[in-house]
Amino acid sequence: MKIPQQPWQQNAFKYGITFLIVVSSIWSASGLEITLERIIDAPRQIGILVGAMFPLDLSDEALDRIIPKVWESLFIAWAGTVIGALFSFPISFLAANNTSTPFISRITKQILNAIRAFPELILAFVFLPITGLGPLTGTLAVGIHSIGTLGKLSSEVVEGIDEGPLEAIKASGGSKLNELTFGVIPQVIPTITSYWLYRFEINLRASAVLGVVGAGGVGAELINQLRFRDFPRAGTVLITTIILVLTVDTISAAIRKRIIQGKINKT
Amino acid sequence: MIKNIPKKPLPTLLSTIGIPFAIVFSIYSFLQIGFNLEDFRKNLQNRYIVTDPLFNPKWSWAIENASAALVETIQIAILASVVGCFIALPLSFYASRATNKNSFSYFLYKSFLNLVRTIPDLFWAMMFTVAVGLGPFAGVLALIMFSLAIMGKLLSETIDSIDPGPMEAAKATGGSHNQAIFTSALPQVLPNFTAYFLYIFELCIRASVILGLVGAGGVGRIIETQRIFLRFDRISPIVVLILVVVIGIEQFSVWLRRKIL
Amino acid sequence: MIKFENISVTYPGGVEALKDINLEVNEGDFLIIVGLSGAGKSTLLRATNNLVKPTKGNVYVDSRNVTTASKKELKEIRSDIGMIFQTFNLVNRSTVLKNVLTGRLSQISSLRSIFGLWPKDQKNLAFESLNQVEILEKAYVRASNLSGGQQQRVGIARALSQKPKVMLADEPVASLDPITSRVVMSYLKKINTELGITTIVNLHFLDLAKEFGDRLIGLRDGELVYDGKVSDVSDEDFENIYGRSIKSSDLIGEDD
Repeated sequence: MKIPQQPWQQNAFKYGITFLIVVSSIWSASGLEITLERIIDAPRQIGILVGAMFPLDLSDEALDRIIPKVWESLFIAWAGTVIGALFSFPISFLAANNTSTPFISRITKQILNAIRAFPELILAFVFLPITGLGPLTGTLAVGIHSIGTLGKLSSEVVEGIDEGPLEAIKASGGSKLNELTFGVIPQVIPTITSYWLYRFEINLRASAVLGVVGAGGVGAELINQLRFRDFPRAGTVLITTIILVLTVDTISAAIRKRIIQGKINKT
Repeated sequence: MIKNIPKKPLPTLLSTIGIPFAIVFSIYSFLQIGFNLEDFRKNLQNRYIVTDPLFNPKWSWAIENASAALVETIQIAILASVVGCFIALPLSFYASRATNKNSFSYFLYKSFLNLVRTIPDLFWAMMFTVAVGLGPFAGVLALIMFSLAIMGKLLSETIDSIDPGPMEAAKATGGSHNQAIFTSALPQVLPNFTAYFLYIFELCIRASVILGLVGAGGVGRIIETQRIFLRFDRISPIVVLILVVVIGIEQFSVWLRRKIL
Repeated sequence: MIKFENISVTYPGGVEALKDINLEVNEGDFLIIVGLSGAGKSTLLRATNNLVKPTKGNVYVDSRNVTTASKKELKEIRSDIGMIFQTFNLVNRSTVLKNVLTGRLSQISSLRSIFGLWPKDQKNLAFESLNQVEILEKAYVRASNLSGGQQQRVGIARALSQKPKVMLADEPVASLDPITSRVVMSYLKKINTELGITTIVNLHFLDLAKEFGDRLIGLRDGELVYDGKVSDVSDEDFENIYGRSIKSSDLIGEDD
C-alpha cells in the first residue's frame, strides 16, 4: 500500500506562522523582562486590589462626586456619536463607489482611513490646549474618531445595496437625487442606524477613559482615587461605570436587534 | 373613487418614542458638555499653541528617544494578544451552550467574560499599575484582559453556531465529552480562532500606544511627558511614527488573514 | 408608437448585443420578444428608454427621439414609459405604498419627495394602481413581507402609477412559479386591452408567449429573425429562433 504524503507546502506555512508567533512572544517577554511566574502571580495581586475596594465607599460625598462624572461620560459618548453620525452619513455617499465618482470615492476613503488611524486619546490631547480641560475636548475627540469609523462602515453598507430599485427609479424618469432618497437611503438606513448605536456602545468605553488626559468623564476620578490609594472610592467608580456600560449595552443591543429585524405594524 | 383604502398604521413605538427621545437627549447632552459656538471660536484662536509646533516636527529627537519605547509597545501587544487569546481558547468552550451543557457553569463563564469586557482597557491598565507597579508589565496584563474578553466573546459565539454532527459522531464511537470537543469542535473553529487572533493583535497594537498615559509602559509614556510640557513639536513626529508602524503591522496582519482564510 | 431605426449596441469589451435592428411597434400592441438568454432581448428593451444607449441608430417613442434627447427630455420620455423587472426591483424595507409612489417621482419636486409630502392626488393615483392589480389592502405592508407574485404586482402598480403610454416588462415571470406567472401575465394583458397601453414583454417560455401574445418577434445573437403573429408561429420557427430543438425547460408547463 502506498500511503500518500502530505504536501510539505501545506504545513510549511502553518509551521512558519506558529514559529513566528512563538519566537516573537519569547522576544517580547524577554524584552519586557516578564517571566511566567509574574504572570501567574498577577491574578492574586489584582485580587488583593479588588478586595481592598470592598466595601465600596457609598457615602453621599463620594456619590455626589462620582455620579455626575459617570453621567458626563454618557453625554460625551452620546454627543460624540451624534457628531460622528451627522457627518459620516453624507460622507459615506461620497466614499461609496456606487454613489460617487471613482476619484472622489478614493480621496474620501483615504481621508476616512487617516482619521480612523488616530485613537480618541491622541486626538483628545491634541485638542486639549485648544478647547481646554473638560468634556468638550472629549466630545470632539470621540466625534471625530467616530466620523472615521462610521464613515468607513456606512460606505460599505452603501456599496452593498441592491441596485435594482435604482434602475426602476431611473426608468420611471427619476433624478439622481430621487435614486438616492428613494432607492439608496431606505435600503441602508436600518443597518447604518444600528451601526450608530453600536458605535455609541464603543464610544461609552472610550469616553470613560478620556478623563485620564483631562478630557472629561469618569476616567479622571478613577485615576485620582487609585493614586491616592482610596480603594473603596475607586471601587465605587469602577462599579458605577460597569453598571452604566452594561445597561447601555443591553438596551442598545435590544434596539439594534429590533431595527435590523424591522418590525412594522401588521395591517 | 376607489373604496377600501387601508388605514395608515400607527408608527411603531420605537419611532414614536425613540426618535424624539434621541433628539431631546442629544440636545441635552450638548448642553451638558457646554458646547458653545462663541467659546469654541475664541478657543480656536489658541490653535497656534498646537498647530505651530505640530508642523515643525523634531524628527531626530523623536527617533532617538521614542524608538525603544515604540519597540516596547509592540512587545506588549504581541505578548498580551498571544497570552490573552490562548487563555480565552479553553474558556470559550465553557462559555458556549454547544460544548457546555451545564447551565450554571456556562452562565458563570459567560458572565465573567462579559464583566471583563465591560471594563475599558485603560481602566484595567490603571488597576494593574496599582496592583503590580508601574511599567510595561501592568500594560501586558491589561491587554491580556482586553484580548481575553474579546476572543472569549467572538470564539464562544462561533462555537455556538458550529455543526453539532461531528461531535455527535465522535461521541457515538465512544469518545468522552472532552475528546469530542478536542477532535470535532476545536478543528471546526480553529480557522476562526486564527483570524480573530490577528484581529485582536491589531486592536492590541492600537491600544498599547496609549497605555503609557497611565504609566503602563510603551510609547505613550513619552507622549505623556512631552504633552505636559506642551512639546507638540516632539509629539507630532512620534505620532507619525506610531501611525506608520501601526498601519504597517495592520497591513501585514490583513495580508496574513487573507492568506490563512 | 415605438420605432427602432438601425439599432446596434456594442458593449464595452466588444460584445455585440444588437445588430442593426429595425422594428416598429404600433399603438396598443402586445408584443412579445423571445430568444435565448444573451440574444439581446433585455438590451432591446432597455434601448427603448435609453437605460442602454445604442451605439448606432435611433429609437423613437411617441415620435420623440429617445437616443438624442437631452437629460430633461429623457426624464419626460421615461416618465411615460413604465418598466417591470425580473427581480421586481422593489425597496424591500419600504412599504408597498412608498414603492408605488416612486413611480410618481418625476412629477413632484425633490423637496416634497424628500420629506414625504406627497400631494393627495398623487397618493390616490398610487392607491388606484394598487387597486388595478388587486393588492390595495397591502398598501402599508413592507415589500419584503409579500410573496414573489405579490411583489411583481406591486412592480406593475408602480409602473401603472406613472400613467404610462408604454409598458416594458423584462422577463416579468422568470422568478415565479407557473400559477403566479399566469396571474402576472394576465394582469399585463388586462392593462394592455383595457387601458390600451402599448406593451413589450420579454419572455423565454414559449408556451406563455403563445398563450398571451398577439405579435411575436424572435431574436437570435442580436439579430431579428422572426416577426409575425403569434397564431402563425410554428415549432420550426421557434427552433430557428433558438437555433436548436425545443426542450422542456423552454416551456413553463401546466399549473401544478
